[in-house]
Amino acid sequence: MCRQGYSSSHLSGRYFGQSGPLFWLYIRTSLLTLVTLGIYRFWAKTRIRKYIWSATAGGEDSFEYTGTGLEKFLGFLVAIVILAIFLGLLNILLVFAGLNVMGAFDGTGSELAQIAVIYANLLALLPLMLFAAYRARRYKLARTRWRGLRFGMDNGAWGYVLRALGYYLLVVLSLGILTPLATFRLEKYMIDRTWYGDARMAQDGKWTALYGGMKHLAIALVILVGGGAAAIMMEAETLGAIAFFVGYIWFLVGAIYYRVYAFNYMMRNRVLDGVVTFDAQAETGRVITIFIIGMLALIGASIAGAIVLAIIGSIFGAAIVSPQVISNPELLLTNTGGLIVAGILLGVFYIGFILALGGVNLVMITQKVIAHVVNSVTVANAPHLDQIQQRAADTGADAEGFADALDIGGAI
Amino acid sequence: MPKALLTRWTSAARSDVSLEGVTGRFFDGEGGLRLDVGLSSDNAAGTLILHHADLPAGVQYWPLEAIRALQDQARADQLVLTLADMEAVDAGLITTARLSLTDPAAIALVQRLAPNLNKRDVKRGTGRKIITYLGGAVAAVVLMVFVILPGLANQLAPLIPIEREVAWGKTVVNQMGRFLGDGQSDLVCEDPAGLGALREMEDRLTGVDGLGYEIEITVFDIPLVNAFAAPGGQIVLTRGLIEAAPDADAVAGVLAHEIGHVDARDVTRNALRVAGTAGLLSMALGDFAGGAVAVGVAQAMIDSSYSREAETEADAFALQMLDEAGVSAMGFSKFFGILGEQESQMGFEIPQYLRTHPVTEARAEAARVFADAQGLTSLVLSASDWSALKGICD
Repeated sequence: MCRQGYSSSHLSGRYFGQSGPLFWLYIRTSLLTLVTLGIYRFWAKTRIRKYIWSATAGGEDSFEYTGTGLEKFLGFLVAIVILAIFLGLLNILLVFAGLNVMGAFDGTGSELAQIAVIYANLLALLPLMLFAAYRARRYKLARTRWRGLRFGMDNGAWGYVLRALGYYLLVVLSLGILTPLATFRLEKYMIDRTWYGDARMAQDGKWTALYGGMKHLAIALVILVGGGAAAIMMEAETLGAIAFFVGYIWFLVGAIYYRVYAFNYMMRNRVLDGVVTFDAQAETGRVITIFIIGMLALIGASIAGAIVLAIIGSIFGAAIVSPQVISNPELLLTNTGGLIVAGILLGVFYIGFILALGGVNLVMITQKVIAHVVNSVTVANAPHLDQIQQRAADTGADAEGFADALDIGGAI
Repeated sequence: MPKALLTRWTSAARSDVSLEGVTGRFFDGEGGLRLDVGLSSDNAAGTLILHHADLPAGVQYWPLEAIRALQDQARADQLVLTLADMEAVDAGLITTARLSLTDPAAIALVQRLAPNLNKRDVKRGTGRKIITYLGGAVAAVVLMVFVILPGLANQLAPLIPIEREVAWGKTVVNQMGRFLGDGQSDLVCEDPAGLGALREMEDRLTGVDGLGYEIEITVFDIPLVNAFAAPGGQIVLTRGLIEAAPDADAVAGVLAHEIGHVDARDVTRNALRVAGTAGLLSMALGDFAGGAVAVGVAQAMIDSSYSREAETEADAFALQMLDEAGVSAMGFSKFFGILGEQESQMGFEIPQYLRTHPVTEARAEAARVFADAQGLTSLVLSASDWSALKGICD
């Protein structure tokens, strides 16, 4: 028995999650969420995270998620109070301003003014959503452990909000050309504040390097604009439709390509404690394949569900709407027992169907993409990890309550 | 430290066990260094013992009843253990130390010996904490919905310039017309004699003082029995209502009621209040299956409580106005009787807490009692004016 450092200087990411167990975990926790009128959703999310974190390993050692449903629930209650006051006042003042200042609702411009109020509402929420996004990431890191050591993130949510608003404005003003600047700087802001134990993470690299990942988006734009212009000049509607279709698909693929490219680049230029470096080899083709297969699975499941629904409907329809009923519709009301049974059966099936689609989505798309990304990462100079020490606990404050209240963050 | 060397754990259910050659991956929760520790158990002391030269004194004792396994783990080939710690703030009441076992024999041993392996620890006072937080959140939302937002709406409504409110009201009436007319363009009744009669009724009711608002009455050519007030003095009556009315006094009662809403700026206040509560409720209750229904029901209940209050006040205003104009409230009362019959024909009654208007019978009774106490009254319109009003949509 001896000190067990790493014999190899490299360490690979590995993902051990399986479809079956995660699917049933999702179904079980979703049913509990349903019967508790939504309150269990904090515990549900926590349990799904525990599964996915524990399925992720760096070398031989699994990650761990230590968050609890209870703290998420309490954090949500706190966030609700703050947001309730803010949103209530905001909405009432916006409508008041709409009626008062902007000349809303007067005749022809009224629909426009109403849309303006809705957008003003969203715009006023944007800083809060960015705040919530940073806090959610900080909470998740504070509740992540590997080899017994905590991850963590410095306080800096409002700094993030200001920067994000500024960079998003630049992106909009430059018609998207400055997207890499926003992607790089905002990710760098968060990475530079990220810790593993007492070791600090740092993001190196240049934002201009991300332009390489924009190439398919540029091609899509050329197809859309060029094809559209050519179609208008030649008055060929078919050409326009084809250009639009091809350009649209190319754009979607290009967006995935950009995200994968940016992930790889940012990962490769990341340093922990000035020593430990990373590599990532995620592949766009693999991610797109996962999406396509997942979509086909969802479509297949939907068709199967619709067929079963139709069969149930027709069986009960035939039983309830007998020939006597057709000649005398009032009989329909006397057969309430049958109606209730049919209604309950359809309701149960419908809920199960919706839950199953969510589970398929989680297992076939989300988890498969995570698996691919985790497996694509390697860590170099791993022996240095032995020297890292524990960091103090972060109480987590609102425990992601704002993100939950504002409904951002998705499945996990 | 007793260290009985037995072959395998199977032969020694109640004895001390050493798992020869089996190691567990141990992280002490202080540093990142991994120790591959040897394992044995001391059943008399009820401990699992971790052995490694680098541990202080070469061993660490884990009380069996304090050992916990991490839950919802993905890997069936390993068991990750830790110890209960009631003071942990960033984890489910567990320490930072971790011991991972992959050897099936070691896993089986721990599963057999540790009595609280899958226990969910709950800190004392958790229930009280939940109730406190929940109560606080509910109290804050209730305070917002029932006190602060309505109060703010009441304060803000008078600040809106009247011409804006009038323009808004006209848009609302146009939209209503389009919605009710099902796309038909000309829904507004414009018989000059009928309009004249309507003007006469309005002048009689509002008297010389007039109101803060210019009242503008529109009649829609639809069979539905209804009347409503839009912002900025806009009032809509329907052909169905005029036809259902037993006499002109009844129409005058309804009109006075709607003028009551106009005078109190009910619609504008309501629009501001609903704008405030809608976003708040969907956030507090939404985000789960059936959430939209819950939001709808909550909104309907809050709305009805406010409307009932506003309706009662508008009724009182109407009776006062009728009295000042020297018009009998009996017509108003009779009109409620007709509404009550229509309701009973529907075969069910809407519960009080979900309806926007107070129960009709009670309103009819209130108007009848008021009419009995009234002094000298005269018909609001002459017979010829009343028949002109009835023909307003011809």
